[in-house]
Amino acid sequence: MLAFILRRVMQSVVVLFVMSLIVFSMINLVGDPVDMLVNPESLPEEIDRVRRDFGLDQPAYVQYWKFLTGALSGDLGNSFIFGRPALALMAERFPATLELATSALIIAVMVGLPLGIYAGLRPNGWGTRIIMGGSVLGISVPTFWLGLMMIIVFSVILGWLPVSGRGETAVFLGIESSLFTLDGLKHLILPATNLALFKIAMVIRLTRAGTEEVMAQDYIKFARAKGLSSKRIVRAHLLPNILIPIITVLGIEFGTLIAFATVTESIFAWPGLGKLVIDAIVNLDRPIVVAYLLFVVALFLVLNLVVDIIYAVLDPRVRLQGEGG
Amino acid sequence: MSNLKAMSAVRPGKERISNTMQALLSKPTTLISGFLLILIIASAVFAPLIAPTNPYDLSTVSILDGRLEPGEEMFDGTIAWLGTDGAGRDVLSSILYGLRTSLTVAISSALVALAIGLSVGLTSAFYGGRIDAFLMRVVDIQLSFPAILVALVLLALLGKGVDKVIIALAIVQWALYARTVRAAAMVERRKEYFEAATCLELSNTRIIWKHLLPNSVSSLIVLATLQTAHSISIEATLSFLGVGVPITEPSLGSLISNGFDYILSGAYWITFFPGIMLLATVAAINIFGDQLRAIINPRLSK
Repeated sequence: MLAFILRRVMQSVVVLFVMSLIVFSMINLVGDPVDMLVNPESLPEEIDRVRRDFGLDQPAYVQYWKFLTGALSGDLGNSFIFGRPALALMAERFPATLELATSALIIAVMVGLPLGIYAGLRPNGWGTRIIMGGSVLGISVPTFWLGLMMIIVFSVILGWLPVSGRGETAVFLGIESSLFTLDGLKHLILPATNLALFKIAMVIRLTRAGTEEVMAQDYIKFARAKGLSSKRIVRAHLLPNILIPIITVLGIEFGTLIAFATVTESIFAWPGLGKLVIDAIVNLDRPIVVAYLLFVVALFLVLNLVVDIIYAVLDPRVRLQGEGG
Repeated sequence: MSNLKAMSAVRPGKERISNTMQALLSKPTTLISGFLLILIIASAVFAPLIAPTNPYDLSTVSILDGRLEPGEEMFDGTIAWLGTDGAGRDVLSSILYGLRTSLTVAISSALVALAIGLSVGLTSAFYGGRIDAFLMRVVDIQLSFPAILVALVLLALLGKGVDKVIIALAIVQWALYARTVRAAAMVERRKEYFEAATCLELSNTRIIWKHLLPNSVSSLIVLATLQTAHSISIEATLSFLGVGVPITEPSLGSLISNGFDYILSGAYWITFFPGIMLLATVAAINIFGDQLRAIINPRLSK
């Protein structure tokens, strides 16, 4: 077991290293960040000075070596635009993204679970057809466009909700979040719902499949024969049995939510990680782009590693296969 | 006997194709989505002929026509059925031209990805062993990242441009094709005709391309259909974020992005109608692809 985990950790480290190499060498091929940093009318000497100050006059492999040694001691370089450590900037923005992704996940479960159970219990009903049709549509509609439509309906026409930003935040139990103020909540509803839409269809499908499977089991038939009410069967017998796989999948999908938050944050001007990186891509702020990419790669590697380890613990076949190959 | 089997297995045969066609034509859902799909493709192909104006001919676009509401008459007497944008371009015409870009990007990237995926998948299944283990490990790693993220990263590294978007989308998709081809080819490998072909000492390339490929192709058709819808969506998202196709060759995504600047002033039509077109295109392909899958492989239909 230990050997299996070690092997996977080593593999992840190799992937991270290769990614840093690819990202670093490719980003040096796109545009010249100095053009974005200096006034177009600056003197050539001045341009050279800026280039030297940022170390951009050195050959790429020297730059990469500097970056790598810095990265190993926790320093991913300074942002060209903000002049501050990239890692610190990301740490500042991360809570907003985390808040958005978590709220979206909660909304997805709260909406998707009941609809999925309903569809699973009445496979041929009219309601089910509407729900499943809606979920096909939900997969087809590009979420960013739906976000714009939500702004048009709820902000422009009805004027109920604000369009952009995070609103007021408050500190509760040591966590600063917009969940704790009314203004913050108002700002959160649209972006969180928009991000959730992407996952609701998935939760519905998972729940429906799980429900259909569980309802065919003998213990459900027995509970029925015992005369339990439908409500009680759903609560005591169905829910606990379908929840475990759903939670596992959602755990894996959390990384996807953070990735997709890039889009939602751009629409609603939500001051999170995604907004930071999109701005950095446009402004050729290389350190931020590289730091973000490595962060996301690391996040996914860790998530996958955890999932693989859990599976290996639960299913010996996975472990043996890993050791055999 | 084994030889006869080989002959019939190698060629899917006209009978099977006509059966598939019959099944496709007998269901209303497929019929409607198929018809819609043909209509969409036709309007993209013939955009220059059917569009009321050419939105990129600067000599005919007038700023005086800016932000007309749907149904209003433009300066030169043409009716802007879906309104005009801030620069006075007819939204309907822009959509038709934008559809061209969107479909071109999606279809070309699917073809490139298909070519890479086919080569990798068939190599993997045919040679097996270490090559297979290595290639599938790469596929696994790539598929563990969400497509939109990989595409975003690639475009951050490659820069803007239609060709860049095609490359990025092809890189995003090849792994999925590779895995599907490998799975299908692995099944075929165990069949008798494959053994027969090996016994005849046919060359590896010939076995791969003439025997493995034609028999693994049906699941690929379904995947390619559904993936095209997916990549239209991804391209639109990327263009909306400003990292996709350049503003000089707008796709549906860039049109929606362009309209974003006007929604707060109430000019909803600039972003609404391109979105509806995007939705209709993606939904039509998805529904059609789902039906195709149900017919070609009934076991997977759920």
